[in-house]
Amino acid sequence: MIEVKEPKKEVPLIGTIKAIASVGKHIFQKPVTLQYPEERPNYPDRFRYRIFLSLDDCVGCTLCEQVCPNRSITMQKVNRDNPRNKRHIYPDVNFGTCTVCRNCEEICPTDAIYLTHTFELARTRNSFTYSPEELSLPEDEVIK
Amino acid sequence: MVVPDTAQDTSKDWVELNIGPQHPSTHGVLRLKVKLDGEIVKDVEPIIGYLHRNAEKLCEMDYYCDALVYFDRMDYVGAMNMELGYLEAAEKLLGIPPPERAQWIRVVMAELSRIASHLVWAGAFGLDLGMLTPFFYCFIEREKVLRIFTAVSGSRQQTNYMSIGGVYQDIDDQIIYDIEQFTEEFPKKLEEIFNTFVKNDIFISRNKGIGILEPEVAIQYGVTGPMLRASGIEYDVRKAEPYLVYDKINFDIPVSYKKDNLARFLVRFEEMRQSVKIIKQAIKKIPDGPYFNPKAKKSLMIRLRGEGEVYARTESSKGEFGVYLVGDGGVKPYRVHVRSPALKNLSVLPVLAKDVMIADLFAISGTIDLVFGEVDR
Amino acid sequence: MNVLQRLQAFFAILGHYPSYILAYFFETLFMIIFVTVMLIVMIYLFRKYMARVQLRIGPNRVGKFGSLQLIADALKLVGKESILPRKRDDLPYRVAPIVVFLGLIMAFAIIPYGDFYYIGSLTVTHSNVSLLLLFAAIAIMPIGEVLAGVSSNNKYAVIGALRGVAKDISFEVPMMMSVLALVMMASARTSEPLNLTNLISVQSIPYGIPQIIGLGVFFIAMVARASYSPFDMSESDSELVSGHSIEYSGMRFGMFYMGMFGSIFLGSMIVSLLYLGGYNGPFSGDAGFIYLLIKAMILVIISFTIWLSVPRIRIDKFVNMGWKYLLPAAVINLVIAGILTLGLSL
Repeated sequence: MIEVKEPKKEVPLIGTIKAIASVGKHIFQKPVTLQYPEERPNYPDRFRYRIFLSLDDCVGCTLCEQVCPNRSITMQKVNRDNPRNKRHIYPDVNFGTCTVCRNCEEICPTDAIYLTHTFELARTRNSFTYSPEELSLPEDEVIK
Repeated sequence: MVVPDTAQDTSKDWVELNIGPQHPSTHGVLRLKVKLDGEIVKDVEPIIGYLHRNAEKLCEMDYYCDALVYFDRMDYVGAMNMELGYLEAAEKLLGIPPPERAQWIRVVMAELSRIASHLVWAGAFGLDLGMLTPFFYCFIEREKVLRIFTAVSGSRQQTNYMSIGGVYQDIDDQIIYDIEQFTEEFPKKLEEIFNTFVKNDIFISRNKGIGILEPEVAIQYGVTGPMLRASGIEYDVRKAEPYLVYDKINFDIPVSYKKDNLARFLVRFEEMRQSVKIIKQAIKKIPDGPYFNPKAKKSLMIRLRGEGEVYARTESSKGEFGVYLVGDGGVKPYRVHVRSPALKNLSVLPVLAKDVMIADLFAISGTIDLVFGEVDR
Repeated sequence: MNVLQRLQAFFAILGHYPSYILAYFFETLFMIIFVTVMLIVMIYLFRKYMARVQLRIGPNRVGKFGSLQLIADALKLVGKESILPRKRDDLPYRVAPIVVFLGLIMAFAIIPYGDFYYIGSLTVTHSNVSLLLLFAAIAIMPIGEVLAGVSSNNKYAVIGALRGVAKDISFEVPMMMSVLALVMMASARTSEPLNLTNLISVQSIPYGIPQIIGLGVFFIAMVARASYSPFDMSESDSELVSGHSIEYSGMRFGMFYMGMFGSIFLGSMIVSLLYLGGYNGPFSGDAGFIYLLIKAMILVIISFTIWLSVPRIRIDKFVNMGWKYLLPAAVINLVIAGILTLGLSL
């Protein structure tokens, strides 16, 4: 345990002037703002946003649907030739409610569903849900 | 006709003023019903519930591993502490203790999170008092913590980093280097921020002797955390009932006997310095080994079953954060209850803000450190 | 030869009186244009300065370095719907922003501007008692704020207006006391010390040096007049949301906003005129106006730094300060000025 001491009493007004000066001298420092669309920060490796789906790997186990805390994932029937996916069901993701918790990525037994750095997902209100085919496409090929 | 003589009726000599829920300094969605006599606040009634998201019930409807997402969103400025609070309970219930390495990593993350939370508080408190600039200095420092969180977990605020039985991913040398770098640079910046506050005569005069919280009152209302310690009671869950590996770390709990706003301010800043001290020790002591308990393998995440009831408490940045869990043997918890420190601390506001001026009301509500995700849940 | 005489000579064909009327009209117009341009510069400067002190960049998207941002903002304010509270007191509610803005313009019409090369001086009013007129014009602005606070039928606004009144009373007495000391010193040299031009021209050294206390008191009063932090109790952001101007929107709000920045600039101008030698200075010659502007801008930057870094003082503490510290300080300053005037005849 330590007792915190009150700060040393300054001479009236001098302390205030010191505080004002300490704020004012920040004018000589470089701004920290990043001009976003032109400059981009370095994203760490683990930075995750958009969910991708590898249609060939998905076995339709519905684990991702079960583990999703927000019920953002629902299974869709897709007619596709994939011997491992007998039921022909694949997840779709509603990015309007997705919180990027990564639970689906962690639980996926075949690593079919995974998250990537892509994060610019501006869309119109009614098209937040990505169908399984759209999930497997890169972001700029998805019809908005 | 009898005209009631209202001029003589002193009980009606006040104006009722509604402050909030949309108000610049109610930190989100607090609504205060204030009875004013001129500038003097006669009575305050905090009204909460504007950010109620039913988090406890939502946790009961999901698997044990999913509840973390909701806990992240309770105290969203210091999310790691919330996760820790839940996991302390959940791991006790499910019988999956985290390995040694995960425990040390958790300590580091929890303390970083405490720094992040206190920095938000300091900046917002400055804004409450009318200081426009220190807010930005606090947030620039906080951004460095969040960058570490991004490198560690992939997200800035709602990290979802810790998971049942360990942590999401191991920390590597680069992250350890970043954290060490941060602990080297941060104390200097912290002193700079500290000086912009305390050197100001006006800041001192706005806080000294305002909002005296007597220790007896604090105990009656269940106040915990920095507010309680500023009233002169040395109570910190990290010392009183050490969890994780806090008993192997050398640190002090800051206490002040002055009981006022300034004391709370100083205690929180001293806590940040102590957090840096903890991180510096912990980052060196992280042992090798697994970061994850194999009993809680990722593919078994939704098959974890627990039975019985547990209560676990941790020291979050706001105070004592308790989680009460009941399991009925199924894959979902039967009951989740959260003892949120900010709610208990807020309940003491009517006592603190009796017969103060309007300006002091906001200074006092600023020192409580309200985060409405946690108060309303 | 100042602007007025030039304009009068230009319109001289029309006869004596019409030419003077037109000359005054156009000179006032020039002055208003100057004030408006200065307001835009001030707001841009404030936003840039605030951003840089807070380690941000500030407006930089509209125009080069964001220079057209203010125009865009002004257009937005003009185009905005003006929402009127239902139970307002209509006439005062509509008049209040105009009163604030007019008070500001009137004050700018009275202060002398000093010469500027070929154009001459922009001073509009040539009165023998311009000092008194100036402080009368400054005293108009609080009336507008009180009107706004009382008429908009909002509790926050009323509290803001009440605080404003308490604030004004407590700083204006010391302010006038410190001005009195100036007049006293000037009266030893000139027979018309209430004329601002005379008052400034007789400063052998800037009055801020012998009257350092008076300078401090007057500067604090000017900070309080412009009501920014630490003395923004009447429109405190975090307590009363925005005090007396809470119910205003659109261009009416814009007038209050400009009134605030205008009074910062006005305060800096007056302080540099009365205490820092105004448009006098080494090698001033024809460039007196530039001297004045530089002095005022340095004061403006100091004001901004204070605004950005100091917490708000509590209203009762401010009233205390006004009566217990500023007023005695102003009286002491008066005594010192008297001694200096009699003993040293500065």
